Amino acid sequence: MKRRVLTGSVAALALFSAGMAHADKSNDTLRVAFTKELESVDSYFNSAREGVVLQRAIWDGLIYADPQTGEYSGNLATDWTWIDDTTLELKLREGVTFHDGSPFTADDVVYTVDFVANEANGAVTQRNVNWMDHAKKVDEHTVRIITKEPFPAALEYLSGPVSIYPSDYYAEAGPTGMGLKPIGTGPYKVVSVEPGKRFVLERNENYFDGPKGQAQIGNVDIRTIPDVNTQIAELFSGQLDLIWQVPSDQAERLEQMGQFTVANESTMRVGYLAMDAAGRSDPNNPFTKLEVRQAVNHAINREELVGELLKGKSIPVHTACFPSQFGCAQDVKEYEYDPEKARELLAQAGYPDGFATEFYAYRDRELAEAITSYLNAVGIRTDFKMLQYSALRDLNMKGETPLSFQTWGSFSVNDASAMVSQYFKHGELDDARDDAVLAELDIADSSTDPEVRKEHYRTALQRIADQAYWAPMFSYNTNYVSTAEVSYTPTADEVLRFHTMTWN
Amino acid sequence: MLRFILKRLGLALLVALTVSFISFSLLFLSGDPAIAIAGESANAEDVAAIRALYGFDRPMMVQYGDWLWHALQFDFGVSYYFRLPVADLIAERLSVTMTLGVCGIVFALLIAVPLGVIAAIRPNSLIDRIALFLSVAGQAMPSFWFGLILIVIFAIQLRILPASGADTWQHFIMPTIVLGYYAMPAIMRLTRAGMLEVLSADYIRTARAKGASEGRVLFKHALRNAIIPVVSLAAVQMGFMLGGSIVVESVFALHGAGYLAWESIGRNDLPTVQALILVFALFYIVFTFLADVLNAWLDPRMRSA
Amino acid sequence: MTAFPDALEITGPTPGQQLRRRMFGHQGFMIGAVFLVLLVIIALLAPVLAPHDPYAQSLSNRMVRPVFMGGTWEHPLGTDHLGRDYLSRLIYGARVSLMIGAVAALISGTIGTALGVAAGYFGGRVDAVVTFLINVRLAMPVVLVALAVVAILGGSLSVVIGVLGLLLWDRFAVVMRASTLQIRGREFVAAARAVGCSTPRILLSEIMPNIVNNLIVVVTLEMAHAILLEAALSFLGVGVQPPTPSWGLMVSEGKNMMLFEPWLVLIPGAVLFVLVLAINLMGDGLRDVTAPENRN
Repeated sequence: MKRRVLTGSVAALALFSAGMAHADKSNDTLRVAFTKELESVDSYFNSAREGVVLQRAIWDGLIYADPQTGEYSGNLATDWTWIDDTTLELKLREGVTFHDGSPFTADDVVYTVDFVANEANGAVTQRNVNWMDHAKKVDEHTVRIITKEPFPAALEYLSGPVSIYPSDYYAEAGPTGMGLKPIGTGPYKVVSVEPGKRFVLERNENYFDGPKGQAQIGNVDIRTIPDVNTQIAELFSGQLDLIWQVPSDQAERLEQMGQFTVANESTMRVGYLAMDAAGRSDPNNPFTKLEVRQAVNHAINREELVGELLKGKSIPVHTACFPSQFGCAQDVKEYEYDPEKARELLAQAGYPDGFATEFYAYRDRELAEAITSYLNAVGIRTDFKMLQYSALRDLNMKGETPLSFQTWGSFSVNDASAMVSQYFKHGELDDARDDAVLAELDIADSSTDPEVRKEHYRTALQRIADQAYWAPMFSYNTNYVSTAEVSYTPTADEVLRFHTMTWN
Repeated sequence: MLRFILKRLGLALLVALTVSFISFSLLFLSGDPAIAIAGESANAEDVAAIRALYGFDRPMMVQYGDWLWHALQFDFGVSYYFRLPVADLIAERLSVTMTLGVCGIVFALLIAVPLGVIAAIRPNSLIDRIALFLSVAGQAMPSFWFGLILIVIFAIQLRILPASGADTWQHFIMPTIVLGYYAMPAIMRLTRAGMLEVLSADYIRTARAKGASEGRVLFKHALRNAIIPVVSLAAVQMGFMLGGSIVVESVFALHGAGYLAWESIGRNDLPTVQALILVFALFYIVFTFLADVLNAWLDPRMRSA
Repeated sequence: MTAFPDALEITGPTPGQQLRRRMFGHQGFMIGAVFLVLLVIIALLAPVLAPHDPYAQSLSNRMVRPVFMGGTWEHPLGTDHLGRDYLSRLIYGARVSLMIGAVAALISGTIGTALGVAAGYFGGRVDAVVTFLINVRLAMPVVLVALAVVAILGGSLSVVIGVLGLLLWDRFAVVMRASTLQIRGREFVAAARAVGCSTPRILLSEIMPNIVNNLIVVVTLEMAHAILLEAALSFLGVGVQPPTPSWGLMVSEGKNMMLFEPWLVLIPGAVLFVLVLAINLMGDGLRDVTAPENRN
């Protein structure tokens, strides 16, 4: 059956490729699919991966970080120095113009920074911008950004989520206007926006000679197609050139077909089970017992999940952070897959016949189902509840989830603080509430000495593993599938960069 | 007649009001929209700020009154997700759903009426049986499944139709078939029953006795009378269909109002969901109202109802 | 009912016998009934019939093909995306679908019948209120409201059954109201009233027996409706939750690999189709048999 489908596809492709190809290499248009309906193209008013993709195409940051090495170089700024702990002075590139022809100057930086840093303006991801207090114009091409507190990670954010908007246009159009008709300095200009549905870009012929380089492909036509099957069907029928975030099974089959290029890259997102060790949902819930939490850890077959379901560059994870992150020590207690031991531990904890518990999840139904199956096998009977993200988050904050399957992508920040410190410092999402962990993390987060930080993250992570507060399981990966005509090398930060793509 | 219309109009308004209230209270129970708006990185303070900003901390009746007052002026608020006016958003998406609905009902009528007529002329014939089976089978086929099968056959295997989107008329062929198929059985049964009844009526016998040709009897006399209830059923079915297009739109990735509704539920985008429930309800109410008026106009006996 | 059984034998078969004869003679009804009974037996005997535990996952045996597509008899209908036996899940899935259909129809039937009979019998204000309620209910887009409610409460078997039960009572109310209106004016009802029977007694022993045929027809149709709606909700991801084997959920899960392993979608969809078709055939047959003059 499959072979028939495939040979049929190939034959039909040959027959129809001439007739059905509305746009492709021949007229220099790359057709891409987004899965999610993007809420707004204004990068400060969406929190989606798709938004970051458009942001990198349409706008530029002051600084550029090489996606492979992480090294910083100048982008809209050419030079920068810390004048004091909280003042960064930047020399701006001259001769840069926005897509509407207006020149890029210090006023644009001041306006953008002042606007997004003002909480009342409601930028969606506050942590991306709330470290800045305001900006000050020194002269036409020199500007100072003043941070609220000493903020060593400033360059990371200035090369990432903070991009510069044209002051006059933004003042007039506002976020809504910017979302509908975006204007930036980036390698691509926006031709049209149908909110949530379609985005058409064309190469910016006047793009400055920056580290991103000139775009090679003339036009990019992005359509939102929520169903991955439909995306694949459109890829088959020659209506799409590139799809991404393709689930591993489908990516594997597409690769076997031989006519598509499948690339896989790991991501920083870690999947883990959170357990209510502090007894927030119920002081007597089973997860307050160490043996039960250890049993959960022993019940999960991480290797099998990675090998059979996630595949690609995913890896088993045993820490409350992604292994590549700074400070994410790997010498912690690892719980190997051992259902027998899990049952013994449950018996020791006083549950010889297991127990029933609610199990919450918000994404990856297939993985969640496989995980509950492991738990059921050792006697933890799960009442499966798949909720929308916001609904689960609501319950998490109120501490009403005894057991939940969570994931965290650390905003692609390569530092353990972006994960372990988010969850173990007694915030509303902390279900462990361990003072010893808190003390270690406080030191690690605030110290400027890398060695001190490493040491204290290690102690914290070791204690988290010993106490089995979480059951970390695996990291995620992303598949990029394109026709043979497209050449693209994906990066580990899960951002599509149109300006680095070329036709074969 | 005017009294009848006014009475029906009043009832329709009351129904619309009740539906809007029920859906508003349902969604009110759905937990805290502030968290959905705040996003993944928000902390408790952000959420509280948003709650106050949007007025979610006010009593439900106050929020409902506020919403209703604006809704009456076609202002359904701003989508939490797209940050665009809900009215604009829906207006844009409705065109796809309306196109689909009209195509669907036309398709259903084109298939169902001739089949029903033939089945009535030759009761218990093979065609009658096939028509009956089609109508029973039509009701039994899960629409999402039917749609997926069409995609596999026509978009993947044969490659003669596009699998998704709404760019050209070809894009609407499969969704139309799937959606229309469900309205077909009821229309066909009613046509058949109506024709059977009319054909046995006295005036048809008279017409036949007078020597009118069979075609003239069927179309001039019989069908004209049998079609009246079918038209009003079609209007009601149209109202149902628009509400039922969610599944079809999601299968074929048509960015219509139904798909918007489904996605908005997932995103906790309350103003959009709330407005969409009302819009779909209004469609049904308007279509049934039109059907009632049409009936009353064609058949004065019904005006007393 | 009658004191002269002998007299009846002379005049012909009892109405019950006539009904039975008509039922057995009705092709559609018989086909539907045979399939439905078969599916009910399969559902009841699921633990005996299923070759494997429907929940036992084996990630190294994912998406094994059915025997007629090159698979082995170990898994006659192959395995799903988590390596669970497809046939076993289908068999257990019959329980889920039938239970949802039956319980949802029971709930909606109770609500709808109570409202419809009350409206038909009492008329006046009661009728006006019920008619209004029916109008309101019909105006609510079922799929959309069900989606919203299940999304709020979290999907589970009981939530889905409850929501469907509370949403699908309109046809019961409409039909029961009309039927009661027809019966209300009949002599025996007037007679019972004249003798001084209480209202509940009249409703239960005079009205109900005479409209129960229509009720059964609606029950079958609404069962089918509920089963299809559950499948649609599960397909959209807000219906019955995994690992419960629901046919709609199986279609939804198989959908991911539809382009490469279409049987994952075809098999559960076909079974769902057969079940709903069987129930509909039976319902249609019943309608023909009990009220042949009303076939429409």
